[in-house]
Amino acid sequence: MKKPMAFSLVGFAMMAMVLTSCSSKPSDQELKQLDDLKAEVTSLQNQISAAESEKAALQKAIADKDAQLAQCMKDKDAVQQRLKAQ
Amino acid sequence: MKLMNRLNLVVLFVLIVSVGAFSQEMSKDDWQRQMTELTTKRDSLKNVLTAVQNDVANLKKQDDDKAAAVKKCSDELATLIGNQEAPFDALLTKIENLINDLSHLSNQDLWARRADVDTAQSWLDTAKKDPLSAVEKYAKRIQDDQSKLDALKNTIQTTMAAAQAGMTYTVGTWARDRDCLWNIAKKPKIYDNAFLWPKIWQGNRDQIKNPDLIYRGQKLQIPEKGELSKAERTALRSYWSKKKTMMQNP
Repeated sequence: MKKPMAFSLVGFAMMAMVLTSCSSKPSDQELKQLDDLKAEVTSLQNQISAAESEKAALQKAIADKDAQLAQCMKDKDAVQQRLKAQ
Repeated sequence: MKLMNRLNLVVLFVLIVSVGAFSQEMSKDDWQRQMTELTTKRDSLKNVLTAVQNDVANLKKQDDDKAAAVKKCSDELATLIGNQEAPFDALLTKIENLINDLSHLSNQDLWARRADVDTAQSWLDTAKKDPLSAVEKYAKRIQDDQSKLDALKNTIQTTMAAAQAGMTYTVGTWARDRDCLWNIAKKPKIYDNAFLWPKIWQGNRDQIKNPDLIYRGQKLQIPEKGELSKAERTALRSYWSKKKTMMQNP
């Protein structure tokens, strides 16, 4: 009789501990706040990635135009020299 | 007793479920820690994003400036060239079409159309004199066209050399054919160059004692075309020396 009673008492005590400790978890609103923050971080990372891609594309476009400009200047000089020689 | 056992079972069940549920839920401390970390990370990322966006804005401006510079240069080049580009391009296309046409001929047919090769070369020489030939895209086309023309000329030369190897010529009469060594060498199918007549003379010493005297029906071997050899030049000098002596002492 005593053992089962002791076991029950211990069990009740543990249950009480678990139930009372549930009150030190974040609320639903706080959990949502955390999720929103995680989503914001992910969004910022994606925006940075997109901006870096755009930056790389622009750098390439500028390099291409530099090459075009150099060729155009060279052609212009060559034609001017030929016209002067005529 | 039975009631007590049942109660214990209920307690045990509730305990197991509660512990299981508890172990999956976040504690307030964990939540706080994550909030702090993520807030710091978010603020840092915002700064990085701002910096990259500024770079993008600067690069866009640079790109626009470059585009304007390229357009300005292109317009200035177009002004220099005037309205000559289209006709010049048409001339090069005409040359390239002719070269392409000649490139597909057999060696025999190419030989027959060797005058067209000369025509293409003449057109290309005209194109080279045009100021537009200095523009790189046209300079490359001209260079390619010249390479192809040189290859065609080489083929014609090779064809002629091969034809001449083992070639013979049967002498006609002076009255009808005006056949003498000079005129035979001048024939396009022979050397197309009268000054190479000593080659025919030296190549047929067994038949030709005096180069001024050849006879109808003589079958002359035609050596391969090329510059006069040392022996042929020596023979030529000797010929003119004797002729001079004969003229001085008739």
